[in-house]
Amino acid sequence: MKKNIFYLSILLFFTFIFTIFYVGLDKSNIYKPKEVKNKNLVEFTSTELFSNKQFNSKDIIENNNFTLINIWSSWCVPCRSEHTILMHLSNKTKLNIIGLNYKDKKNNAIKFLDELGNPFSKNLTDPDGIISISLGAYGVPESFLLNSKSRIIKKYIGPLTSENISEIIKIIQ
Amino acid sequence: MYGKKVKLRLLFLSFIFLIVALSVFLILKSLEENVVYFISPTEIKNLSEIDITKRIRIGGMVKEETIKLNQNQISFVITDFKNEINVTYSGSVPNLFSEGKGVVAEGYLKDRSFFDAKKILAKHDENYMPPEVKEALEATK
Amino acid sequence: MISSHIGYYSLLLGFIISTSLLFYSIFYFKKNYQKINQKIFSLLFFQFFTVVISFISLVYSFIISDFSNATVYNNSHSTKPIFYKISGTWGNHEGSLLLWLLVLTLFIFLFIIFSKKQPVKYRFLSIFFQQIIISGFFLFLLLTSNPFIFLFPIPNEGLGLNPILQDPALAIHPPILYLGYVGSSIIFSASLASLVQNNINKEWATHIKKWIQAAWFFLTIGILLGSIWAYYELGWGGFWFWDPVENVSLMPWLCLTALFHTVIVLEKRNLLKSWTLILSIATFTFSMIGTFLVRSGILNSVHTFANDPERGVFILIFLFSLIFLSIILFFIYQVNENRYEKNFFLISKETSILINNWFMMYFLSVILIGTTYPIFLEVITNEKISIGPPFFNKLIIPFLILFLIFMAVGPNLKWIKDNYKNIKYSRIVLFLVCIFISFYIVIKTSSEILFISILGGAALYLLFITINEFLNKKNNISQTISHFGFGLFVISILLNSLFSSEFSANMKIGQELVYEKEQIKFLKIKSIDKENYKSIIAKFEIKDEKKNITSLYPEIRIYNQPNILTSEADIKTSIFFDKFIVINLIKGEKIFNVRYQTKPFMIWIWISVCLISIGGILGVLKKN
Repeated sequence: MKKNIFYLSILLFFTFIFTIFYVGLDKSNIYKPKEVKNKNLVEFTSTELFSNKQFNSKDIIENNNFTLINIWSSWCVPCRSEHTILMHLSNKTKLNIIGLNYKDKKNNAIKFLDELGNPFSKNLTDPDGIISISLGAYGVPESFLLNSKSRIIKKYIGPLTSENISEIIKIIQ
Repeated sequence: MYGKKVKLRLLFLSFIFLIVALSVFLILKSLEENVVYFISPTEIKNLSEIDITKRIRIGGMVKEETIKLNQNQISFVITDFKNEINVTYSGSVPNLFSEGKGVVAEGYLKDRSFFDAKKILAKHDENYMPPEVKEALEATK
Repeated sequence: MISSHIGYYSLLLGFIISTSLLFYSIFYFKKNYQKINQKIFSLLFFQFFTVVISFISLVYSFIISDFSNATVYNNSHSTKPIFYKISGTWGNHEGSLLLWLLVLTLFIFLFIIFSKKQPVKYRFLSIFFQQIIISGFFLFLLLTSNPFIFLFPIPNEGLGLNPILQDPALAIHPPILYLGYVGSSIIFSASLASLVQNNINKEWATHIKKWIQAAWFFLTIGILLGSIWAYYELGWGGFWFWDPVENVSLMPWLCLTALFHTVIVLEKRNLLKSWTLILSIATFTFSMIGTFLVRSGILNSVHTFANDPERGVFILIFLFSLIFLSIILFFIYQVNENRYEKNFFLISKETSILINNWFMMYFLSVILIGTTYPIFLEVITNEKISIGPPFFNKLIIPFLILFLIFMAVGPNLKWIKDNYKNIKYSRIVLFLVCIFISFYIVIKTSSEILFISILGGAALYLLFITINEFLNKKNNISQTISHFGFGLFVISILLNSLFSSEFSANMKIGQELVYEKEQIKFLKIKSIDKENYKSIIAKFEIKDEKKNITSLYPEIRIYNQPNILTSEADIKTSIFFDKFIVINLIKGEKIFNVRYQTKPFMIWIWISVCLISIGGILGVLKKN
């Protein structure tokens, strides 16, 4: 009897530790995309790359059913491979794709788009990276899929893959 | 003979108990003394009282154009985009310390807007932002 | 492309073999087979072979920079030197798990070869328990961290390996550490098997001791390499930071060290059976906890890289199922301790080993609490905290004094019962002399003189005693060398921390500064373009009081892919001290953040750890 209680208490002890670790995993320092889901995108204002005009994020998002914001940079290598996918997406669908040019030089960014094509309806700039941080971005590339009310439907960290693209196409249809 | 054995065993057990109790006490006591809390600039502004003897960590971004250097000292401003704090530091900094990047400074508060850092921490990863900083930044949104 | 396919399918095949081995081992066990038959043997070999194939195909993908493989894309770059392409294979999560699996399957194969003298049923059960672990890892790899994921379209270039990991010490550090961790998994399965078979006796102890010593050796060397890497790559000039990642490698080490000693008692006196088992289980549990804490990102440490919570959940569930399994087995198959030889006398070798165990458990609990307390606090109260080195130093260092004395005295006691009248007065005199010597050394420094001189004295005492043992060939040589190494280790750390000096400033080119008795001159910088980075090499001259000039060339590397700055310290090592200089860019390219340190006896710290581990490997090689 005594022994049973002893073993039971040991089991309980480990269960307790398990629970703590399990909850801790959820709380932990890992930055998780799902936390951002179903939140509204923070409103921001920025200059367009080509026209040098100021745009408010709300205005350009809310005219469209769906918007994809893509954070990119000319110095970022994965962005380059992602770019073909974005081109594909802009050619195939009527999705409103907005670029957010992260910590980039204007000339490099323009050269990059000249070379690989421009899938973006507007290309906003984020020279010091502050907008990206306020959006909750982790690095480049990163993309947000928004509905017309600026609500974040999906967030993709890292380059978009062809699977992501088919998912996006499914959502917007 | 038997009595002696029992006595010895009792002595032995109480000895073990004493040692265990002592070590538990020691561990808990030093835990209390050596814990370093993490605070964001906004939280410092909102503190009702500040304790200048307690070691803390402050996290945020190094504000652009604020790093100033002289021979023995580095000073800069940590911001969480809502509130700011001035930091002075002498010593070496990690590779990834630069303007516009996340930073965690460990040290003592001088007052609500001055912080004397003893250590600057940063991670190995370029895109990395210390989780505390991320959270602090997100909390101010 | 093709190599990824081969790798993936051979991994799948390995998993299938693993499940069949699970079945066969328990089947033959039930049927009372008298011998490990050819089938089991060839399955074990074949399983090892599939993992080798899978591993080689991943290495091959890395060598040819096949970016259609996601792991290669995320962790490699075509301009990287070939050496780091290969070491990049296990420099990431997926690859390192594959390496784990490789070592796991290799070890169970070796275990079966080297355990021929053991009872057959016990060997079947060991295979069974080990296959539980192996199939767990197979599942983990296949479900959450497949190293052979395809990318389409195929990227032209990879993201690159974190430059901080492009280092020779770090290239071999993980494999060696894993040998230690995985060695502990064999000990785990073997103990469970012998628990079920009620096979815990002197013969078993002699047999498992070799495995314990081997695992212990690899773990020690693995930790040493990690520490050396931290010393010259992280640029902080320290070798141990009580960082969570370091702590989790120390926890299984402490457990294993305790086990190492306890198993000797079991071998010689047939005592402490349950305790040996608990330690064996704990060692592997701590290795797994280490993997969990590091890989799940639950801990915040300077060493954690990319994390994924799903992986954390998997390891957590796996780990606790193993713990629960062992507790249940413990409950069902109770260990019968040897009642007849229960005479445990206060002054005997057994007691001194038990005391060693207590110390180990104390150190272990300090480190465990210090490492996991922040997690508990965050879950319960939502407060974010960190626990720094003072916590560990304060709780561990004072206890080292007693620990060192027991290390010197313990091995010289007799088994069963010794008499305190055997204490020689010359030893006490020697101890006092040691304290005086260290007092004399320490007196010039200002910090807690009494405490440090006693600690130093205890370490010196251990040194003298072990030298004496060595000369008279009194005890077994591997133990003497390890204990000697530990004494040297404590002394070197003590001198290192007492006499280290550090100076940091922000300097321009051409500037000259005087620090204590030394002159530091920043002469020039030179930039060189290398294959995958640009390097800025600075030249410094240090003039000491005797006008001796030392030139130091610290370096900053600007890697192009990924775009990261690293500082490469320049270290001039001599027998008595290291001169360590590291520079860093802060703003622009004009002012450099310079840190210059003199670190006495650094090399002796490394040498002493090598000595400690040599003791372990001598134990393995020794013939019984």
